[in-house]
Amino acid sequence: MVDDAESGDGIVESQRAIDPRLLAILVCPVTKHPLRYDPVRQELISKAARLAYPVRDGVPILTSEAARALDDPPHQV
Amino acid sequence: MPIESKPQTDHADPRSRPFDRALLRSRRRRVAGAADQADFLLHRVGEDLADRLSIIKRAFPVAANIGAHHGVLSRRLRQVETVGMIVDVEAVDALANQCDGPLVIADEEALPFAAASLDLAVSALSLQLVNDLPGTLAQIRQALKPDGLLLAALLGGATLGELGEAWLIAEEEITGGASPRVAPAIDLRDLGGLLQRAGFALPVVDSERVTVAYASPLALMREIKAMGASNMLTQRRRAPVRRDVLARAAQIYEQRHARGDGRVLATFEIMTITAWAPDASQQKPLKPGSAAVRLAAALGTDELPTGEKPGG
Repeated sequence: MVDDAESGDGIVESQRAIDPRLLAILVCPVTKHPLRYDPVRQELISKAARLAYPVRDGVPILTSEAARALDDPPHQV
Repeated sequence: MPIESKPQTDHADPRSRPFDRALLRSRRRRVAGAADQADFLLHRVGEDLADRLSIIKRAFPVAANIGAHHGVLSRRLRQVETVGMIVDVEAVDALANQCDGPLVIADEEALPFAAASLDLAVSALSLQLVNDLPGTLAQIRQALKPDGLLLAALLGGATLGELGEAWLIAEEEITGGASPRVAPAIDLRDLGGLLQRAGFALPVVDSERVTVAYASPLALMREIKAMGASNMLTQRRRAPVRRDVLARAAQIYEQRHARGDGRVLATFEIMTITAWAPDASQQKPLKPGSAAVRLAAALGTDELPTGEKPGG
């Protein structure tokens, strides 16, 4: 799968999609709650922790250092 | 104002967080490009864990390699028939990028796996540098399915004891005090206790001492640096190492641990954990008083009242 949707600051380049077998077993490392995959922004969203973890070239980066706080909500998708 | 202003530094009580994990990550990132030049212990552990897995008669469709380094263990375990997908978990991106399976960037202390999602968790030479080992073990336990297996090797016990001793003596002699240099090592008994506290069934820990010969104490120190494992203790002395202390430590090391050919010996103690997530199918002791057959019958002997001696 290739995402060609626009994001706020440009075109998301042909990202490798996240492995669905991975998505099935990953949770938020902080709260252990489920993650929601946002394929447009290439983020994994933890509602419970109010964090968005980046996904780069199909690789989830599930560290609190890399995460974006959800308190400044981005444009709604 | 705290003196430490670097982001990602561990600020908590240094006694409960012995390792500066942010420093460790930055060191490992710096040497990541040459990781395959200092990975002989990882290869050794990979062979050993592959052997141990291949004699277990069951399949492990979903596995995770916790603290994957540059993927040595996973590459080896992908050759084991009973192992399916192995997800590499590594906090240092420059190492993680050298892994070649499904990959997650995450810290060993905050694992991103759903409860009961893994059939197998493996780890090679990473868990000795975790600050909260009981916490990490508990997270692994929860991520394992019932009857899932944890198979992990970590350094402990006598690891680099010779070097720690040489530093201690040299520093004491020259500066009149000693600062921590070699990481505190966990021993077999502690590890067994931690596994039980983390809720594992049938935990077994064994250990093997590997003696490695180096051209000199400095060659050993260079190798440790190449592993990204030089002093990352939270309570380390921040000042640069004094040349005279370094020279004296090397001298003491040579005096005590040189072989006939002038090379010096260093010990690495590899401790290997085999532990299972509890499951009703596992062997466990029967309740007292639930025996259906007399012990005497099972032994083919006569039962005597207490206090009497056979033939007496």
